[in-house]
Amino acid sequence: MRRYIFRRLLTAVFIILIVVILNFTIIKTAPGDPARLMAGFDNPSEELIQSITEKYGFDQPFYIQIGRYFKSVIRGDLGDSYLYNQPVARLIADRIGPSLLLSGVSIILALIIGSLLGLYAGKNEGKLIDKIFSTISYFLNSMPSFWIGIMLILLLASHFKWLPTQGMVNVRANYTGFRRVLDIATHMILPVITLVSVQIPTYFRITKSAVMQVMAEDFITTLRVAGMKEGAIFRKYVFKNAVLPIINVFSINLAYVVAGSMLVEIVFSWPGIGVLMYRSIMMRDYNVLMGVYLLISVSVVIVTILMDLVNAALDPRIRYE
Amino acid sequence: MSSIFSRLISALSINRRLRSGCILLLCVVLVVIFAGAIAPYDPYKLGDDLMVRPGVGNHFLGTTAMGQDVFSMIIYGSRTSLSIGIVSALISGVIGTLIGAAAGYFRGKFDIVISEIINIFLMIPTFFLILIIVALFGSSMLNVMLVIGLTSWPSNARMMRVQALSIKERTFVKSAVAMGESGWRILFKYIIPNGIFPVVANTTMGVASAILTEASLSFLGLGDPNVVSWGQMIFDGKQYITSAWWISTFAGLAIMFIVIIFYMIGDGLNEALNPKLRRIR
Amino acid sequence: MLLDIRDLNIVYRMRNKAIYAVNNVNFSLEKGKSLGIIGESGSGKSTLAMAILKMHNLKNTEVTGQIIFEGRDLLALDEKQFKEYRWTRIAAVFQKSMNNLSPVHKIGTHFEDIYRVHEPDISSSEIRERVYALFHMVNLSPRVYTCYPHELSGGMLQRVSIALSLIFHPTLLIMDESTTALDVITQGQILEEIKELEKVVDVTRIMITHDLFVVATACQQILVLYAGDMMEYGDVRDVLNHPMHPYTKALIASFPSLRGEKREVHSIPGTLPDLSVKTRGCAFYDRCRAHREICRQEKPVVCQTGGLHTVCCHLYGKIRETDVKEGVNR
Repeated sequence: MRRYIFRRLLTAVFIILIVVILNFTIIKTAPGDPARLMAGFDNPSEELIQSITEKYGFDQPFYIQIGRYFKSVIRGDLGDSYLYNQPVARLIADRIGPSLLLSGVSIILALIIGSLLGLYAGKNEGKLIDKIFSTISYFLNSMPSFWIGIMLILLLASHFKWLPTQGMVNVRANYTGFRRVLDIATHMILPVITLVSVQIPTYFRITKSAVMQVMAEDFITTLRVAGMKEGAIFRKYVFKNAVLPIINVFSINLAYVVAGSMLVEIVFSWPGIGVLMYRSIMMRDYNVLMGVYLLISVSVVIVTILMDLVNAALDPRIRYE
Repeated sequence: MSSIFSRLISALSINRRLRSGCILLLCVVLVVIFAGAIAPYDPYKLGDDLMVRPGVGNHFLGTTAMGQDVFSMIIYGSRTSLSIGIVSALISGVIGTLIGAAAGYFRGKFDIVISEIINIFLMIPTFFLILIIVALFGSSMLNVMLVIGLTSWPSNARMMRVQALSIKERTFVKSAVAMGESGWRILFKYIIPNGIFPVVANTTMGVASAILTEASLSFLGLGDPNVVSWGQMIFDGKQYITSAWWISTFAGLAIMFIVIIFYMIGDGLNEALNPKLRRIR
Repeated sequence: MLLDIRDLNIVYRMRNKAIYAVNNVNFSLEKGKSLGIIGESGSGKSTLAMAILKMHNLKNTEVTGQIIFEGRDLLALDEKQFKEYRWTRIAAVFQKSMNNLSPVHKIGTHFEDIYRVHEPDISSSEIRERVYALFHMVNLSPRVYTCYPHELSGGMLQRVSIALSLIFHPTLLIMDESTTALDVITQGQILEEIKELEKVVDVTRIMITHDLFVVATACQQILVLYAGDMMEYGDVRDVLNHPMHPYTKALIASFPSLRGEKREVHSIPGTLPDLSVKTRGCAFYDRCRAHREICRQEKPVVCQTGGLHTVCCHLYGKIRETDVKEGVNR
């Protein structure tokens, strides 16, 4: 087990290394002067260009450049945003909270709702309720996340006028304490519904197919013949066997979910990483863009590895491999 | 090649979902070809009727804030979506098939390296990689196609690799080896034709996800500014959502429609390939 | 008589058709005389087993006839009454692909859960003791109790499954293709062990298989099924040494004989008939080399040829003069 953890962590470090190299290579190979790209806006001063060139050694050989880039990334220096006049790491740190809140809540809700619906549909496979769920899931799966958000604004917010569609807090009211929590919660309703609807199909489908596969296994028949109650079989045996594929899909889909979150943040002007990223694209503030990419890649890799470890802890078959 | 073709034909005759998907796709292709004849207006022309409601005047689906005809934009947008979707999925399918088949058949160090690359690619968030490359290298349609294609091949390669591993053990390949046929010949003559069917299904699904990716890029302002794109329409319509709901709504429905068509075809192929799957979903 | 099956018919009702899986099957099982049911896949043998266990889908499966077990008709019992039989008197071993046990639960968990179905208050240590005794009987070490299925070999898993079925000392044990997935040597070993076991435990087996070898080594009686119809039934020695039905003959010819003289192995040409059509005549008609006109027209009647040995074939029943003429000329 310890060896397995060690091996997976080593993989994580390796992948992060690759991501950093990839990141730097993209800046280097993009058309134009890399220092100018990093500087961002259209007419940077010559001194700025000069200082960036020196910092990353763009006038030096490639291995020195990448070495310097590495050094600064490891120190947590992702460069500066000349647009905001702040270090990129700083900008990200200020906005990561809202993003984590939004995606965290929606991932947990989607996981619970999606897999419960999947369990139910798998148990009642072929019945009307299963067909309804499956059809809805099929349609949800084919809609762009941001469009679902916009449609929700259109359909719900115009009827429920109290439902806020933009931002995280009511800037005019300046609530404190519990009122503030409530305020944030109401602002979260629409983005969370959007993100949950985007993610439900994935968990629904995998849970349903896992349940159906397990239910067809001989050991389920044996337990049934032995007289064990259907509910008990389902809770203990079907559930535990179906959980593993769900965890697997969770980590496989994480990157996709994060991308969806960013787009939905933009729709609802949620003050998180998504909006930061969007602005940096619009204003060509590439340092910020690269920083965001690096951060997202690293966190996705870490969570994936963690999920692998959880999987290994739950699945007796992995531990001994 | 004829065996793949006959398998596709038999899949078409068994599977209803696949059949209806193909018919719908044919309709979309006709729309793409005859866009000029179907669209009543030039989608790039800024007309005088601003934000006209659907059905008013000759604007079947209304107009945008700049006076463009929404229906014509949607008709022309199918060109963008379909060509980006199909070209990038084909790039990814061809690269994935070749690399995966070679890795699975030749094994050795090449396979180790390729498997490692596939694993890494499958773990890092591809969408952001695409986004950054397009942001830095420019957002022409060609760039978007290339970048989506070049970043999404690993799932095809993984699939083809597994197929190659199992086909390699079959008798007809072993006898071909014994008769002294060269490795590359075997790869193209036996491994790829016999193992490509799941990759074809996956590539069809890949078209759907490429279309969604393109829409997302356009929504972020990273679409080709010179062509009409459904993602771009959704984004433009977003700010008028309370006053002109039709712009975003119809563009989104168009995306949904075309994505579902490819899902139907992909699922249909998978079902025809593996009858056990039919019960799932 | 332990088990008496009379006029058993099983029909699956599908959305737009019916599958006639088992038709008019009659046989009886004496205590201690294990029965092998043999047939190709689709012959209805598993369906028959599931019906004895009352595991058929109640919504779309019609079971008619009688399954008389220890004097009571199981088909007349409701699920609550049948619960008294489940695993305590009738148990089963399924193992088509080594997945008779949940891969993420320990072996012991399966035993505990099944014990507690019928004896809810039994303590874990008590269960452990009893399971160790069972393990001893099937040549397993007590260590297996805390193992996961993937840590055991196929033969060991098979022994675990047999131990699991013997928990409550059932009188009838149904083994559905239980040894099919094992290699030949392990299979032989297990069959020997089962026979040894029966000297200690009072249990009668029904073995469902497509492998004549299994029936020949481990059963006393044989029932040959084809497309849901009974073909031949009798003592294993009688039937294998003097097969009467053309299907049984073909079946035996399709198995290579190990010890006997070298001979050609014949596969049976053709495939099973469409089970959704109720055949008027003999089910084997299409593939039978000796068929006559009457075989297509009428179901053959059961023909007792001495002792237990019965065969359902027009060749041995009363044949009308005219049919003989037509048949021979074909």
